[in-house]
Amino acid sequence: MIGIDWYLALSAVLFIIGVIGVLIRRNAIVILMCVELMLNSVNISLIAFASHHGDITGQVLVFFVLAVAAAEAVIGLAIILAIFRNNLSIDITKVNLLRW
Amino acid sequence: MVEHTLHSISLFYPEIIIVVTLCVIIIADLVVKKKNHTAGWILMGGFGLAGITVLLQAGRNESVFYDMVAVDPFALFFKVLLLLSGIFIVFFSVNSDELKAYKSRIGEYYMLLAGMMLGMLLMVGSTNLLLMYLAFEVTSISSYVLVGFIKKSLRSSESSMKYIIYGAVSSGVMLYGISLLIGITGATDIYGINAALLAGVDQPLILNISILMIIVGLGFKITVVPFHFWAPDVYEGAPMTIAAILAVASKIAAFGMLIRFFSVSFINAEGISAAGVWQIFDALHWDLLLGAMAAMAMIVGNLTALMQDNIKRMLAYSSIAHAGYLLMGVVILTEQGISSILIYLFIYLFMNLGAFYVAMLFSNKVNTESIEAYKGLGHRAPLEGVAMTIFLVSLTGLPPTGGFIAKLYIFGAAISAGWIWLVAIAGITTVISLFYYIRVVRNMYFFEPETGAKRLHFTFGSKIILLLMLIPTLLLGVYFTPLLEFAQSSIKILGLN
Amino acid sequence: MDILLNITIYLPLLAIAAVILVRTDQAVKWVSLAATSVTFFLSLLLIFNFDTANSHILQFVTEGPEIIPGYDIKYLVGLDGLNLLLFMLTTLFGPIAILSSWNSVTKHLKGYYSMLLLLQTASLGVFAALDLIVFYVFFELSLIPMYFLIGIWGGAERIMATIKFFIYTLAGSLIMLVALIYLGFHAGGVHAEYIFTADWRFISSPEYQIGLVEQTYMFLAFALAFCIKVPLFPFHTWLPHAHTEAPTAGSVILAAIMLKMGTYGLVRVCMPVFPNAFMEFASWFAILAIIGIIYGALVAMVQKDVKKLVAYSSVSHLGFVVLGIFALNTVAVQGAVIQMINHGLSTGALFLLVGMIYDRRHTRMIKDFGGIAKVVPVFAVFFLITTLASIGLPGLNGFIGEFLILTGAFFSELYDNSIYAVLSALGVILAAVYMLWMYERVMLGSITNDENKKMKDLNFREIGLLVPLVLFMVWIGIRSEDFTRYSEVWVDNFIDVTETKSVAVLKEAQKDDLPGWTAAFYNLDEESDELEVELVQIQGGLK
Repeated sequence: MIGIDWYLALSAVLFIIGVIGVLIRRNAIVILMCVELMLNSVNISLIAFASHHGDITGQVLVFFVLAVAAAEAVIGLAIILAIFRNNLSIDITKVNLLRW
Repeated sequence: MVEHTLHSISLFYPEIIIVVTLCVIIIADLVVKKKNHTAGWILMGGFGLAGITVLLQAGRNESVFYDMVAVDPFALFFKVLLLLSGIFIVFFSVNSDELKAYKSRIGEYYMLLAGMMLGMLLMVGSTNLLLMYLAFEVTSISSYVLVGFIKKSLRSSESSMKYIIYGAVSSGVMLYGISLLIGITGATDIYGINAALLAGVDQPLILNISILMIIVGLGFKITVVPFHFWAPDVYEGAPMTIAAILAVASKIAAFGMLIRFFSVSFINAEGISAAGVWQIFDALHWDLLLGAMAAMAMIVGNLTALMQDNIKRMLAYSSIAHAGYLLMGVVILTEQGISSILIYLFIYLFMNLGAFYVAMLFSNKVNTESIEAYKGLGHRAPLEGVAMTIFLVSLTGLPPTGGFIAKLYIFGAAISAGWIWLVAIAGITTVISLFYYIRVVRNMYFFEPETGAKRLHFTFGSKIILLLMLIPTLLLGVYFTPLLEFAQSSIKILGLN
Repeated sequence: MDILLNITIYLPLLAIAAVILVRTDQAVKWVSLAATSVTFFLSLLLIFNFDTANSHILQFVTEGPEIIPGYDIKYLVGLDGLNLLLFMLTTLFGPIAILSSWNSVTKHLKGYYSMLLLLQTASLGVFAALDLIVFYVFFELSLIPMYFLIGIWGGAERIMATIKFFIYTLAGSLIMLVALIYLGFHAGGVHAEYIFTADWRFISSPEYQIGLVEQTYMFLAFALAFCIKVPLFPFHTWLPHAHTEAPTAGSVILAAIMLKMGTYGLVRVCMPVFPNAFMEFASWFAILAIIGIIYGALVAMVQKDVKKLVAYSSVSHLGFVVLGIFALNTVAVQGAVIQMINHGLSTGALFLLVGMIYDRRHTRMIKDFGGIAKVVPVFAVFFLITTLASIGLPGLNGFIGEFLILTGAFFSELYDNSIYAVLSALGVILAAVYMLWMYERVMLGSITNDENKKMKDLNFREIGLLVPLVLFMVWIGIRSEDFTRYSEVWVDNFIDVTETKSVAVLKEAQKDDLPGWTAAFYNLDEESDELEVELVQIQGGLK
């Protein structure tokens, strides 16, 4: 039997990897993938807690998070597409019209 | 069970009406050939109808859908504010030249606006972390698209991308915080969390981390320092109407959610008078933390606004500063503090929307958002110039405008709670804010228009809309008793002292 | 009668609607003139019905309901011995300001006259409001029209001037707002019914006392705001700019009325509400006032621009008023009150005169003139009278005020040394020097500039403007008791109140455990009966 701590540790590690990825990567698509990673790490912790408490609510929340993550990814990709059409690049350091 | 559901539905009409409106707009968009803001008028009708049903709920204090949503005076106040700002935004959109180029897609625009409104209405009513997160995301996702609505403009797309990255990360952080909070308390509704916290949790460190993470998400929505970086870029790139709704409505909704979350989850009904609301978990000085955030928002917002030339960017920084002033009320978290937030938001709605509206009218006519280009505009557009002056004076917080009353209240609440240093910072930053607000006025009036520049003509309708925001801004500066009573009765249910 | 005061205050505001609606420029002028003239005549009714023997009691009071339940914030206006004459001065300058800009202002007439009318209402409101929050509202409201008057219709460097003007005064008044809210809650803590009160009648009454620590902080905040407005040295730097850049009517109103809001506030709020701090800080403020008197006079002496000279002379003259206020005895405060009026009349008239020659020659530089007394004799006469009044020649109004202030300051117990009075008397001499020297260089001698030979003398409109002012200057100079009688009872009464309050606070303070600096600053170490003896002496000495 694997204890809840391990699940939570995994989730925390994945979450941190996601955050670091968002901060250091430049490719917009990779950034979106890192955001997905963050959301999915949350799913792991939610499921772990739900089974720990023997409560179904956490598991239900996971479905919603999945749906939201999908919606976010769709919008994100659409916006990246729009930028690519105008700018021919998805490197976020080259998207810098707006500053200060 | 069926009975409860049916009863819940009967109290859920405002949200249902918005959803129905959204569907009608989609259908109308398919059916109607000549697309000329038809969807806008439908949406206006929907908002109006929803507003009526909201008002019919006055005096109700119930929890529907098994403690998912609260239908209470507190939610009612915020819903009224949100729908009011929604109606104004539709008016703005109909008058916006920026959107005219996208006539064929305008149906989508209004549909997304309806979606955003749905999310915001749920945000202020939800009492369950699950629904809070969902409502938050519904609002965010609709607004991501709206910000990037002007597809051909790289600025618009860029701001949209920045918004979605910031938004997704901060909502992800918030979600992680929510999962931790659910994990250690074992409850998803805020009443259950309150009960669990009162019983005592054995993981204070994780509890504190989770609250911090939730503050990140909410701080992003209310654009408080240090989660504000997206705001200026997004406001500048977004269509003016969307910048206005982000500055006003989504901030109102986020404050509604923030106040409900804090004041319900962390209240200790018995010990409230003894050590203040924040005593329930004292590992961190939460009030000090939020106070520091408020102070930072006032300082950073006002100082950075000094350097702006784009009116939208200037208003963005000013809205960051206003988030700081508003957050002062949360720091105190007394009945006086919260009611002063409500009053402030109500007045802020009119004055800030008004400033955005005049900026939009000017950019329609002279096709610029640069403050330098405002030279002489006051003489070319007398009514609009005077209105802009009054809105900006009100945003500064000078009498006899509503902004003064808002500031007076929030300063008063903070002083009576002993937060003198915070009020001192707020006072000093108010003086600083004068510089950039008055710069617009100076450019409008102190320079003569270029020779040959004609007087600007605006439609009668647009002037009426302007007056609808101008009159409350002025009136609330001299007569505000009803607003005060409305705000005070709205927060009774929170049980603060 | 009570409604009359409200009509007087708000009539100019209502006239703005008419100004916006009428079509021709002439009509705009006439409507504004009519509104301000009616205001003046209505205010005459007020002064005739004023009960002089009870001038320490508010009269013509209008009291609204409290706006917020539990908070004593309400619409409260009324006149008493202190504000009556200032109120009259404001209504008098209404039509004068309108007439003075009759031909000299040509652009954006509607805006200009609306701003003048708005300023009129705001100024009347400042003097009449007795609820401190309402007072604050009017105080701030008066900034906005003045900002536009300078910014739109001002001179070449108007933008810098407006920024300085606005930032200085706003910074001061926001500090005041914070102190005001604090004061309100503090007073509410004492008040039986409310948790917040801003009613001046309660705050200034003997039953409301403030502890020494709070008193010090609040006094400094209020005094700072008022001293910026006065302006007291070293906060005066906004004034010369604002004055030189403002249009004539703007400078006139600024000098005659808006500067008085500062000195008025010192007497109205600082004196009876924070008596101990007021007394302890008196000599500090007196030193600043004296520096202002001498510095203002010296700087005025070297000015090349007549308008700037008059502006610096304002700094000097208002130093006298502040000196009188902080002397805190009947004679000096009485003198300060009447000197506010005097300064309004003479400096207002000086600015009008400067505006008149500027209209003719479009320059204000002293070197461009010389010998014009021969060309414009009527102008020369008016200019001479006003100059002499400003210097303080016996028989004219300035003398009365300055004499009372200097006498009072000489005998004041708060100024430990008669050097205060002596040094400030130096200011009177310097005033004679720079004013007469300016008069000589502008008016006398031979005509050096050929363009001046074609100057037209004053027309009937301009004479009509100046005659009432000169009339009042002579009247106050000859029969000052006609004017001082309005404030006599008020001043007596409130100096008593201030002293009783200060004794009571000190007695109370000796029981408490206060921070060390307070004890040292307020001399709390003395035995309490000794203290009482001393205070009885003070009171005896004053009468």
